[in-house]
Amino acid sequence: MKQKRERKKKFWHVFLFITILIGMTLVGLLFRTVGFPETNIVLLYLLGVLLISRFTGGYAYGITSSVFATGAFNYFFTEPYYTLSVYDSSYLITFAIMMATAFITSTLTSKIKMNAEIAREREAEANALYRLTSRLTDVTEISEITSTVVEMVSNLFNCQAACLVYTDLQEPENTFIQQQMKGKQIRREVQDPHALKHQIAGLRTEFNVGEEFHDWPLYGRDTILGVLRIPNSDVSFMNDSQMRLLHSMIESTALAMDRVKSVSERQRLKEEATQERYRGNLLRAISHDFRTPLSSIMGTSEMIMGVTDPGADTHMLANTIYNDAERLHSLVENILALTRLHEGKLVPEKQLEAVEEVVGAAIKAMANRLADRSVKVNIPNEILLVPMDAKLIEQVLINLLDNAVKHTQPDEEICISVVENKVEKRAEFHIADRGKGISSADLPYIFQMFFTSQSDKKEKRRGIGLGLSICESIVVAHGGTIKAGNRIDGPGAELIFTLPLQIDCLDEGETTNND
Amino acid sequence: MQNKKEKILVVEDDGQIRKFLQFALEQVGFTVSTAGSAQDGLSQLVTGQTDLILLDLGLPDFDGLEVIRKIREWSEIPIIVISARDQDKDKISALDQGADDYLTKPFSTVELLARIRVALRHRDRLDGHKSETSATVGELTINFGKRLVYLKGEELHTTPLEYALLSFLFKNIGRVVTTKSLLQELYGISHNDDTQALRALMAGLRRKIERNPATPRYILTEIGVGYRLVDE
Repeated sequence: MKQKRERKKKFWHVFLFITILIGMTLVGLLFRTVGFPETNIVLLYLLGVLLISRFTGGYAYGITSSVFATGAFNYFFTEPYYTLSVYDSSYLITFAIMMATAFITSTLTSKIKMNAEIAREREAEANALYRLTSRLTDVTEISEITSTVVEMVSNLFNCQAACLVYTDLQEPENTFIQQQMKGKQIRREVQDPHALKHQIAGLRTEFNVGEEFHDWPLYGRDTILGVLRIPNSDVSFMNDSQMRLLHSMIESTALAMDRVKSVSERQRLKEEATQERYRGNLLRAISHDFRTPLSSIMGTSEMIMGVTDPGADTHMLANTIYNDAERLHSLVENILALTRLHEGKLVPEKQLEAVEEVVGAAIKAMANRLADRSVKVNIPNEILLVPMDAKLIEQVLINLLDNAVKHTQPDEEICISVVENKVEKRAEFHIADRGKGISSADLPYIFQMFFTSQSDKKEKRRGIGLGLSICESIVVAHGGTIKAGNRIDGPGAELIFTLPLQIDCLDEGETTNND
Repeated sequence: MQNKKEKILVVEDDGQIRKFLQFALEQVGFTVSTAGSAQDGLSQLVTGQTDLILLDLGLPDFDGLEVIRKIREWSEIPIIVISARDQDKDKISALDQGADDYLTKPFSTVELLARIRVALRHRDRLDGHKSETSATVGELTINFGKRLVYLKGEELHTTPLEYALLSFLFKNIGRVVTTKSLLQELYGISHNDDTQALRALMAGLRRKIERNPATPRYILTEIGVGYRLVDE
């Protein structure tokens, strides 16, 4: 189709060339009959050369026409007529000057014409690019970008362009979109996405030549976003300026894709944050509203115990109610601690606190559950100040104590000791008991939430989990460590957690934990 | 149990809690009146003779802190705050607003009754206007006139700051003293940031008076709020 058009154009140019030369000769013959001087005829031929240069393409026509015009003047208008010889040798100068003038006129005109053409091309390029970018600025979906680009590239270069998008995981999608005749677009399957990905990734030139398509990768800020494909047969007809335009279009497409991606990413993060906040608010509201009914359940059962004889059934039943309400209460406290932790984006509000105060407060809070059991406490003689959110560490100690109480007999000793590890600059908290210890089967799961260990179908493990997993979250958020094990010096379990003593050391711990 | 029947006003929007508090308090011999809203509570306070208020912070019509402020404009009546609010700053602002004590839900009835007794005793002491020359808790005695502290009858050496700390706690025996008010009293600073010096001072004092500072008998720590000298 293109070749046909080219040939037609050539034909028209040759036709113009001949017509103008013949026309000028005829007018010249008319001039001679009328008796105008020869000067007019020379000017007439110069006009002809100018017209030919202007309306046909390229230097070749202009130069040829200047030769022919000089020849025709010689043949028709200098004596002897209808020969190429001259009597008056001064005509030779006329020929030379005429030839030179025609030559210069033709080259200048051709040059102006070519410049005009280049300018027009540039304008068309800029226009196409402008139309593309202005259409892409309003787009909010990647699919919209691809269909716009495919449509515009196809119209501009008169081909059937196609576009393939990469997923967020850096893999090519399985289908791509291609422009068809009459403004239609279809989805086609990618033959071998992996081979294509490989080829594009290893690309050293601007495009890859495949079996059916030339593929131009669309590079985003840090990844490949997709591939623009143009059928091989269409690429061969594209000239340099069209290639240049195509590359500019590819660049603006990649920019638009990047923009859409980052907008959707921001949107996703925002939604996640909102959800997280909503979840935190819900949990807090629930735990908060639990407390009021719990107070009246616990208070009332306490009153019943107070007014009944300790041996009576009523007393025993009220005691059961009280104990279960108290279990519910400790659950609520744990959930509140968790929301407190999440609110601060896992960075606790730390102040220097004396370890003895936190340990003492935890023991006092556990007074009811400890009943008359004694807890042995060893703290360093020198005052030990540790940066921490005291409320959260108190909760850790309460959970660990509660755990020790649950898993031991009333006569078995529970011991809390705190030591300063001066080498590692850490405070070490040991909570040890003299119970059966932790079975090796349970050890790996001990810090998991109970619903995960439920998948183990071991019902007995339910209930240990939540408290300990919250302990772990709190300690880790402080930049510390926690581990569980059995005592070396005889039977019993021992839980050890450490907290860093230095503020700068803390920051390091936090950043690594946040990763 | 009491010489005259002391009257307690319970301002609490939850009906169940009102009911059980009324029962518990009447059991031990108090007269109890109840109110479900701040408006109702305030008008009962104006019309009737009341000795102590149990106030819930989460009331439907007014913020509990606002209620405390209003009452304190014209009355020194003991206020014990009952709150489901977990946030320490709510407790601290309630205490700074002039509340005598606070309890977080759920609380033990035994604990509540103990706190009520402390608050009433504190009021009686203030009413008596007699400045006591000495006070005793367990084996710990302070002599305000001589500025001396005795443990098990023997004189205990204390630094001037330790004495100031102990005497301030003795003057507020049984009540929570916020970190902020302690800093103000001891160092004359009102910002809450420099608690480190106070923690160290307290640790030193505890090592002198307590057998084990981590399981204190005299000075209890209210995490995030302040300290309380037990009233036996």
